[in-house]
Amino acid sequence: MGALNQDVDIQNFFIFNSQLCPKEGEELKKIVYYYPPSDNTEVQVENVGLVEGIIQFTQTFNPDSPVKSLHTGKQRQLFLQPERDFWIVLTIALPVVTKVKENTSFIEYLEEDVQDNVYESVLRQLYDMYRLFWGTFQHTLEQSDLGTLMTKIEKFYNAYLKTLRMAHMDILTVFKGIQYLPLDRHTFLKIQCFVNDVESNMEYIAHTAFLYNEHVVWSGIEPNDMQTIYQYLIDQLLPANVEAELQGGSMPRNLQSPFTALRRGRFITGPSNLKQAKTVGKVPKIYLFNEDGVLEYYLVVYRALSATVCFFVKGKTELTLDQFKALDEHINPRLSPIVNSIADYCSKQVVSPSNIQESSPKFIYFNKLNLACKSTVHLDNKHTGNVACSADSLRIMADMKNTSHFLGPSGENIVKTTNDYWVFSKTSNLREFYIVLQQKSASLISISEEVKRLCESELEGIFFHPM
Amino acid sequence: MATLPTVVINTRQVWDNRENSKLSEVVYKQRKMSAFSDCYLELSDDPVRFEPINQLTNVFFDDSNKDVFTVRSGGVMGVVVKGPKENGKVLNFRMEDQGTVLSIKLSLDHKVLAVQRNNTSIEFMNVNKEHLVVEYSISCKRNASILGFVWSDINEFAVITDHGVELYTVIPDKKALKQLKSTSITVQWFVWCPRNNIAILASSHGSQLQPVAIKQGSISKLPKVETEPRRMALKGDVTLSTLYGTAAVLILRHQSGPHTAEVHVHLLNVSGQSPVKAHVLKLGLSGRFAINVVDDLILVHHQASSSSQIFDIALAEESDGSVRYHTTVAPMKSLKPTSITLPGLVEPQSHACELYSPNWVVFQPNIVIDAKLGCLWHIKLRLSELCQQIKDMSVCTQLALNRTDGKPVLLTLLSDAIKADKPDMNKLQESFNHINLVYRDWVDREVQNQSACPASASKNQSSPRVLIDQNAMFEEIFQTMSADADLLKIERVLVCYLTSLAEYGVPVQFNLNKLLVSTLARQNKFNALQQLLQYGVITDSKPLAVLLLSLGNMHSSSTQMALDMLARLKANDEIQEVLLSEHQILSALKLAKDEANPRKFLTAAKSSGDPTLFHSVLYYFRNHPKFASVLQSDERLHTFINDYNEMFSGSCA
Repeated sequence: MGALNQDVDIQNFFIFNSQLCPKEGEELKKIVYYYPPSDNTEVQVENVGLVEGIIQFTQTFNPDSPVKSLHTGKQRQLFLQPERDFWIVLTIALPVVTKVKENTSFIEYLEEDVQDNVYESVLRQLYDMYRLFWGTFQHTLEQSDLGTLMTKIEKFYNAYLKTLRMAHMDILTVFKGIQYLPLDRHTFLKIQCFVNDVESNMEYIAHTAFLYNEHVVWSGIEPNDMQTIYQYLIDQLLPANVEAELQGGSMPRNLQSPFTALRRGRFITGPSNLKQAKTVGKVPKIYLFNEDGVLEYYLVVYRALSATVCFFVKGKTELTLDQFKALDEHINPRLSPIVNSIADYCSKQVVSPSNIQESSPKFIYFNKLNLACKSTVHLDNKHTGNVACSADSLRIMADMKNTSHFLGPSGENIVKTTNDYWVFSKTSNLREFYIVLQQKSASLISISEEVKRLCESELEGIFFHPM
Repeated sequence: MATLPTVVINTRQVWDNRENSKLSEVVYKQRKMSAFSDCYLELSDDPVRFEPINQLTNVFFDDSNKDVFTVRSGGVMGVVVKGPKENGKVLNFRMEDQGTVLSIKLSLDHKVLAVQRNNTSIEFMNVNKEHLVVEYSISCKRNASILGFVWSDINEFAVITDHGVELYTVIPDKKALKQLKSTSITVQWFVWCPRNNIAILASSHGSQLQPVAIKQGSISKLPKVETEPRRMALKGDVTLSTLYGTAAVLILRHQSGPHTAEVHVHLLNVSGQSPVKAHVLKLGLSGRFAINVVDDLILVHHQASSSSQIFDIALAEESDGSVRYHTTVAPMKSLKPTSITLPGLVEPQSHACELYSPNWVVFQPNIVIDAKLGCLWHIKLRLSELCQQIKDMSVCTQLALNRTDGKPVLLTLLSDAIKADKPDMNKLQESFNHINLVYRDWVDREVQNQSACPASASKNQSSPRVLIDQNAMFEEIFQTMSADADLLKIERVLVCYLTSLAEYGVPVQFNLNKLLVSTLARQNKFNALQQLLQYGVITDSKPLAVLLLSLGNMHSSSTQMALDMLARLKANDEIQEVLLSEHQILSALKLAKDEANPRKFLTAAKSSGDPTLFHSVLYYFRNHPKFASVLQSDERLHTFINDYNEMFSGSCA
């Protein structure tokens, strides 16, 4: 085998607006952002021009549905028009394997490995994440000027693109779901009471979200907004802080006991050390969009033990250090008993990975109404490709997802692969359920039975359409 | 305080008379007589009025019958007996003067009068309407001296002498007494509790306190009250009362030096264990005190400061493991001022009564007598005023839960707390927890009663004093909250209440679940609703599923949740209806299996306008062994077959 195997990678990513400069010869002015900066301006202009042409050309066929993607032999291009006249384009280099046939090695581009719906979703997330922190492009243009917009975009995407792990995007990227923590009624109610208490005491807090490790327990904001914030928390904010905690935890400095340090909660956005802080520190402002328009909030994140509490502070609020101190004082003592009872409950429920048989069926569950998502296929949340089934099966799932609308409100799809994997998709009551199991010489009936059992044990209490 | 079987009221006995009481230490606060709104204790409006004590007239009080005896000139000028109610029956009679009356008491049925005129004998007279008929008597043993006597039952009579207790049965018809039992023990003084038929016999200057139960023709010694060794007690310092259904001995302990007085509460449990000190009431004062019990609350009146403290032994306060220490639950306050009308020269005049007067005598449980004024009052608790004096909502809730008329007060209290601008959710939670602890126990007992013996179970015995169940909360609290302005507040308080119910494992009723769902829906908080349902906060029920279905047009998650709920309830018929209404006819048909109604499904399939669907449904019925014949026989279904033939005639041919 040759050494030229290559994973999916970003070839380029750019944002342009044709209306910015309709004149010929000044095409460069249309480009709001271009990555990688190593491409010289000629290449940039060329690429943008090509995309402009494709968009205009395809529009003549179907003006209502703009072009979404372009397949070529070596690359895949995805298009998104998130705002009027603004286009975002992501170009992906197809993965490559070197094969040897009749003593000559040649390069094969794996077109099938790159699925449109997965990367369309990546593109959408690239925009949504920007919009969460900076608002719409248009908004910035109206408030200030193009220069400011370009600075903001550049600052944001230069950093953000580096964190994306393009190679391990799969069906979960399509869902962009939120993982909820299974919890008993009483503990959940305690959290509810905690949230109500804080919100009624601190009137500047409009909403609250409560996470335990990487799972949401309570979210006071709409799932669509929570989706992007959740991605931000799980992919960016929390991993960075957990690392910092682990480093600090192993060698406590100037503290009497390491336990007191850990027990005490702290702000991870805002003043991280309340005792020494002189300013409120960095508190990100976020923009949420709903029918009523744009809502601005400060995202104040507090972490104690394994719990993360996000406070959505009304954007008009003047943040003061005293406010943070009062908030800390109020929630810190109340939080520990709650976190302890969650931990108690979880420790009773945990099934250690060694107990799960490797051959047992793995599933992905998604409810599009609350964006709840659960996967036993993925072994972590880090998009590192740490999965419990073949990459093939995951791709089949994404393909099934693409065609699931043919099933109507309820239906099933079953695929058997050549390596004895069975992939199952089930749509029922606005939920999607994907199952992968490996069973040699199994019949369709036995697989169906197996799936039925799994549904009953893993998803009790929800309605499945009869099949 | 003075609890002689019968007490000659004279001022010396009124207040606990301690020679060394340091009145100077007590800060006497001049009370603004105009501000009575915060007085949480009051005297009854209609005191029993009797002829005041004077040189010729003696007044006696019998605390078994709560009768006041006014004896003029040793009975020659007449005896007037008044019951505890001002407008009650009055008994009038005359007696021959055979010496000074020491004690006088009617039997419990008011048919026999017992009079003690010396230390050795007691005379009896049968009461026939207002005439005293015959006279007979008993004498105690030689060398013994009578300390007092009590009517322990209708015709049972106990004489307590310094040598012990003698129990007789009185036979009025035969004008005779028959001795039933006697017990021998040294007694210096005794205290009688008519409610529990228990007497405390004191010896060694009150350092030995021996309770005896005198009932049903027997005298039984109970375990001795465990007091501090050799600590003496005066008769006036020992009160016998009943607290929460248990007989209790309350001993007022004056402390020497800088310490303030305490009341030690010993409970006489039925278990036969010796009554140890269980509670200590810290008075924080010294001087003269008097004790009453109202609605199981202990009132300690302090003469020098003209104010009263109030204690509840049921409150969980500071404890050292065996003894709980209590302080007054509300700031010390005077009784509410009262007045009586006295005959004047021209017209009756209103006379303001002196409160905490030196002429006062208190009797258990809640009687105050002013002999100089000729008044008998009952002390009454003004619970809502008391609650207003207590800052801590949780303490207030516990207190109100144990009062006989606590329910409306507690509900008002809760309602006021919730209506406050920023209700303290944590305190509210504590209150709900106290309320629901009582509620849960009641629910448990009800369940037991129903399962064990449905008819014979005595309901009254087990029902708590204040029971605030879900219906009471719903009607008195949640429905009164102004719904439009305060949806968020309703939601928060409701969640708080439901959390407390969950804490005690009480299932939530439909009306509260429904309120929660509609409160969230009206705020358009479907995201929150979904999470609450997901975590099982809202109990499944068919009516609730229907409610969710009706909200389906506001948010599609409602329909999903309704279907899940119906699935959990295994309500197949309802699920079919939902599926049909959403035009998922085949799914509904699969669910219906053999129970399907062909006409319903065919109608739905036909109205869908989808010929393939109509074909599938009709073919299903036609090939089904059960429905094939129905399709043939039921004429109403023929129209569908005709329609089918018409629809597919072209293609079939």
